[in-house]
Amino acid sequence: MNKFLQIIFAGFIFFSSSVLHALEVIEILGGKASQIPIAVMPFKSFGAQKAIGKINSVIKSDLSRSGLFYALDTRGVIAAPNSDKEVNFSQWKSLEAQFLIIGRIDFLKKEKVKVSWSLIDVYKQQTVLSGEYVGKEKQIRAIGHKVSDKVYERLTGSKGVFHTKIAFVEKYNNQKYKLNIADYDGYNITSLLDSKMPIISPKWSPDGKKIAYVSFEKEKPVIYIQEIATGKRKLLANFKGNNSAPAWSPDGKRLAIVLTYNTNSQIYLINADGSDVKRLIRSRSITTEPSWSPDGKEIYYTSNQGGGPQIYKFNLESSEVSRVTFEGKYNLYPSLSYDGKLLIYLTQDQGNFKVALQNLQSNQVLKLTKGPLDEAPVFAPNGHMVLFVYKDYGKTTKIGTVSINGLKIDPLPLGSRQVQEPAWGPIKN
Amino acid sequence: MKFFKLENNDELQANLFSFAIHLALFLVMIFSVGWQTKIPYYGEVEIWDSVPVQKKINKTQTTSNKKIKQQKKTTKVQKSNEAKAKAQKEADIKLKKKKAAEKKAAEKKAKKLKKQKAIKDLKKKVLKQEKLDKLKKEMLEKEKVERLQQQVIEQQKIEKMQAELRENELKQQKKPALEGENEVKGGVNTGELNKYKLLIQQKIQQNVNQQLCGLDYINLEFRISLMPTGELLGQPKMTKSSKIKSCDDAVERAIIQSQPLPLPKDSGLFSKLKNLELKFHPNGVE
Repeated sequence: MNKFLQIIFAGFIFFSSSVLHALEVIEILGGKASQIPIAVMPFKSFGAQKAIGKINSVIKSDLSRSGLFYALDTRGVIAAPNSDKEVNFSQWKSLEAQFLIIGRIDFLKKEKVKVSWSLIDVYKQQTVLSGEYVGKEKQIRAIGHKVSDKVYERLTGSKGVFHTKIAFVEKYNNQKYKLNIADYDGYNITSLLDSKMPIISPKWSPDGKKIAYVSFEKEKPVIYIQEIATGKRKLLANFKGNNSAPAWSPDGKRLAIVLTYNTNSQIYLINADGSDVKRLIRSRSITTEPSWSPDGKEIYYTSNQGGGPQIYKFNLESSEVSRVTFEGKYNLYPSLSYDGKLLIYLTQDQGNFKVALQNLQSNQVLKLTKGPLDEAPVFAPNGHMVLFVYKDYGKTTKIGTVSINGLKIDPLPLGSRQVQEPAWGPIKN
Repeated sequence: MKFFKLENNDELQANLFSFAIHLALFLVMIFSVGWQTKIPYYGEVEIWDSVPVQKKINKTQTTSNKKIKQQKKTTKVQKSNEAKAKAQKEADIKLKKKKAAEKKAAEKKAKKLKKQKAIKDLKKKVLKQEKLDKLKKEMLEKEKVERLQQQVIEQQKIEKMQAELRENELKQQKKPALEGENEVKGGVNTGELNKYKLLIQQKIQQNVNQQLCGLDYINLEFRISLMPTGELLGQPKMTKSSKIKSCDDAVERAIIQSQPLPLPKDSGLFSKLKNLELKFHPNGVE
């Protein structure tokens, strides 16, 4: 018995002494939505000195457009280092830079350039990523976008979307329409289709090789699918009534479309080759604007079944319908992020149409824009930005991006073009 | 009947004549000279009733004398009136000239003013445009700032709430210390220790960029060693990863960025805080 007590006593002494010498623990919950301060220095040119555009401006613009970075003003910084060994870290710390991008451009034969770059961690005082790209001189913007993508992925853990394409409709000469394709930031515009009749709802196929769209050239809305590389197109849906709102399934084999066929607008499924059309939801109310979940198991859509327009989802396996939006009386035009965790849509808030972001896990809603007449929001393929249409002070319609932290709204430099109906293409590997 | 009487009454005739002349003079004076000139003195006016009865000859003589006097007076008045009128005319001409000159000057001035005004207007327009541009810029800037401010305010609200919660927790923890005033555990004041733990926690939390940690509930742990100045002794050591590289890096940067960390001067307290274990939950806890 005594021995037993002794053991307990010894155990107690040992335990209490270990408590006394244990590390102090501090729990830290949450954080802040801040922007990473980054300095992008002008790249030095070697070989032939040619004006080929400033690659550092492209990188700066890309990173700040994402809303996750704050590109520091580096004018007046005399010492432009060539490598991390030349970096005066205390100088960069005093500028509150956390990262630094430096690089050089070597002009090669046959109008080619080699771009070498490094990403330097100012806190750790070392290069954390570096790379080299060789391309044609005229591809300098594309090379800049590639550098941005690499930096973005290294520092945020998500793929960059700076080397992707967008599509949008341009109205010109009052009654003519073009379906345009451009870089994600509005540069390098090319026209895929020219029409005397309106074009709406362009949607990229998941492989980025085709675009489905609605055309009024048959004097009513019909759906076409057009190959981007060849320009070849085929009529996907020309059924009785209106054919509209195409949405590709994640595997690209099917599309959800909206037909008025015998009744009001209803969602149908159709194979990408135009075969096997079947009605998806049997409802007396309008069901429209379908958008697939990334696993292909659910379709989010707009319906007026509860009175005003709200967003619902339909499970393709169980045929179960559930309501998704509850905040506000007027929510429409749903679009899901690539991971299915976030939903964006248009919401009417105090008479203004704004872009709303809903976290589908917590159902928290954040209004990303201020309106008053925002339209057609679509996610970037990495879900970190949203492309949307808005009217500025001069009442001209613009296409712009907004970061999902709401910190950065940036118009695309499209001048006075009358633009509408944007669509963001996928990330190509 | 009375008219017949008048024919034979010289005195009455003379008086009437004199009256007529006076009246005429009076009228001439009124209309030629005008109100602004001084009315001249033209002698006594004799009133019918008080006229004394005189002999005929004398009367005619007196009337003729009076006539001459009156005539002289009228000529004098006329002359003075003419002179005055002349002067007036000259003055008028001068005035007119002056006015014309003034008009010309005024026109010149007006032209000058117009020019100046036009220049001013142009300047104003340019200024207005500049102002407009500035305003537009300011509005855009304002929008940006407002957005940031809103976020900061929201963040501050959250932080305030968290701080309050922590304070409450601290108060509860502090209570025994306060009651016993100096509850000492292993030679250390626990109230003071908790105060510094809270200060360290707040400083690091400010710098955690949770956007780089996805949306899931994740946690990660670091161990740090500190110098008495609050600087890190060596690099933070990650003992548990969030499995998200960008998040691990962001938290490590937050720790480094928080230097110097607030530490007590008391060496006993410092020895408790010089090695710390930091547990992070960037997206909160389930």
